[in-house]
Amino acid sequence: MSDRSIQLKNSVNLKLVETGEKERLKDMLRQRLTECGWRDELKEHAKDIVRERGLQKVTVDELVKEITPKGRQLVPDAVKRELLAEIKKFLSAQSQ
Amino acid sequence: MCSSFRVQVIERDAAIPYNLQLLRLLHESGGAVAEDKSEDVGRMIQKDIYCEVWKAASVQAKWCVCSVCGGHSPRVHACLHCIHFACYQGHIQEHATATQHNLVVDVEQGQVLCMGCGDYVYDSEVRRIALACKEKSRRSLGLDTEYRAWAPDAVEMTLLQAHPKRRRPTPNSTIGNTCFMSCIIQALTHTPLLRDYFLSDRHVCQFNNDSSRCLVCEIARLFQEFYSGNKAPLILHKLLHLIWTHARHLAGYEQQDAHEFFIAALDVLHRHCQGNPPSNGDSTHTCSCIIDQIFTGGLQSDVVCQACNGVSTTIDPFWDISLDLGPCPYSTSKTDKTVPTSLADCLDRFTRPEHLGSSAKIKCNGCQSYQESTKQLTMKKLPIVCSFHLKRFEHSNRLHKKISTFISFPEHLDMTPFMSTRRNNNNNHNGITAHPTDINNRYSLFAVVNHVGSLDAGHYTAFVRQHRDQWYKCDDHMITRATIQDVLQSEGRYWSMTEGFLEHGGYCLASVVVAGLNSMLAGAHRNQGNWYLVILQV
Repeated sequence: MSDRSIQLKNSVNLKLVETGEKERLKDMLRQRLTECGWRDELKEHAKDIVRERGLQKVTVDELVKEITPKGRQLVPDAVKRELLAEIKKFLSAQSQ
Repeated sequence: MCSSFRVQVIERDAAIPYNLQLLRLLHESGGAVAEDKSEDVGRMIQKDIYCEVWKAASVQAKWCVCSVCGGHSPRVHACLHCIHFACYQGHIQEHATATQHNLVVDVEQGQVLCMGCGDYVYDSEVRRIALACKEKSRRSLGLDTEYRAWAPDAVEMTLLQAHPKRRRPTPNSTIGNTCFMSCIIQALTHTPLLRDYFLSDRHVCQFNNDSSRCLVCEIARLFQEFYSGNKAPLILHKLLHLIWTHARHLAGYEQQDAHEFFIAALDVLHRHCQGNPPSNGDSTHTCSCIIDQIFTGGLQSDVVCQACNGVSTTIDPFWDISLDLGPCPYSTSKTDKTVPTSLADCLDRFTRPEHLGSSAKIKCNGCQSYQESTKQLTMKKLPIVCSFHLKRFEHSNRLHKKISTFISFPEHLDMTPFMSTRRNNNNNHNGITAHPTDINNRYSLFAVVNHVGSLDAGHYTAFVRQHRDQWYKCDDHMITRATIQDVLQSEGRYWSMTEGFLEHGGYCLASVVVAGLNSMLAGAHRNQGNWYLVILQV
């Protein structure tokens, strides 16, 4: 990534946090993922892993590493689109 | 997991939020936090993690970044020993190794991580503080309480373990020919949102001192009895009496139409609920009562004038959708001559533009004359629980008969093709399936009411769902286990011998984002993970 795009990313992030928009977006995302069953499915998957390994033998790091690919893959396209549209809407409102 | 981790909250000054003046961390493997530093922990959790005030957001934006890579990397952690923020992609670990500062806190989640044992530490007090801070910060941003899946506490856990058997539906006893009522009550008591509403005791009776006249109170009492675990059949005499009092056309011991009863029951419940009725009396339904929140949808009717192509649109509230069976009497095109064989066929027909014919000219607002027109019904707003009524009883002229075609219906139904937005862009229904599914329009079946027998002598039974996939057949006081196949092919399995059919069914919306729905309702709904629909057949 070029310096410029890193800079841009940081300033966007700064704006999102400053205005509280980031929390709002995260809330929306959390809601959508719960509604579409993503949360339940991933939770079951994580439970399976913990059961298989034994509660004492698995750390958060290992769990995250293991479920991340599946988690990313399961996010419905509609949710991704909606989130992207929300971010764009926020940015265009900010730049005016 | 760190078992030696302790947090103590000492309440010294009630004026400070959450009485978090001093947090003392004692940790063996990570080395004790010096007492003068412990104040930082409280401050960090309060200010940096869940900034309560608007102003603090800018503080957070400035500080909660990785001090090494400088970016807003995900999972920024804060050292609990000194003032140092770093990301989890290695920089916070470097800090810990270099300084032996082993305790860090995740600024997003508020979880404390011990580098000594390499895992997060679960402490109920830290969690309580983090949740309280988070809640406050959400409120300052104008967000509702965050939805959290129900987790049993210690008491509930003991109860669950002590009672491993899950309950079957409680049978209803019938008086006279009241199986029509018993079936509808079974379907209603298995409506997840109604159940959550009544079991959490949310009804406020508007009949002061005389709750015996209130149908909602009676239903609330039934819910309590229903889910009490008592196996004896419920006798619905009080309910029957209330319905007789409030909906006089249903009074008497004769067999009644289950659909009529369903609508009458919803109507009386709606009247007895303390909702805020639409103030200006127009058709845009804004009533906030539980019945309207759950069952009311909006049906858009577009009448297109054939002369000027002017469209006049009205939106009417509906509680259920009555679907015609049998060949379409008015249509001229060949495709319409086919008899619908599935719920999707029926809905397709329901939302198709219909030519009103030369005998039914309507005054057009556009050209101010009486013209032939076409009318199309589409779903403007879907209800949470969507009820379909298959019109199996045909009343035409002197002829009354029951249409016995088997209508298949799916376990999961997508209403997207029948939405106003979809239909209006695309009047050609061949293109329906090409569109992606909107997850907000998915329903899943949770109750089916069937009528067995003929028009004047028949019997009602119901299938209801409990939990995610447990189906039961309710035949008055007889409750038997059923499978989803039994439900979906009920005609083949149960009804062929008795010439019975599916009449009426209900679906409940898969996922709901309904404006005005309070968070408890929305939470309870999402909690189900997947979704419901009730079908009624009459």
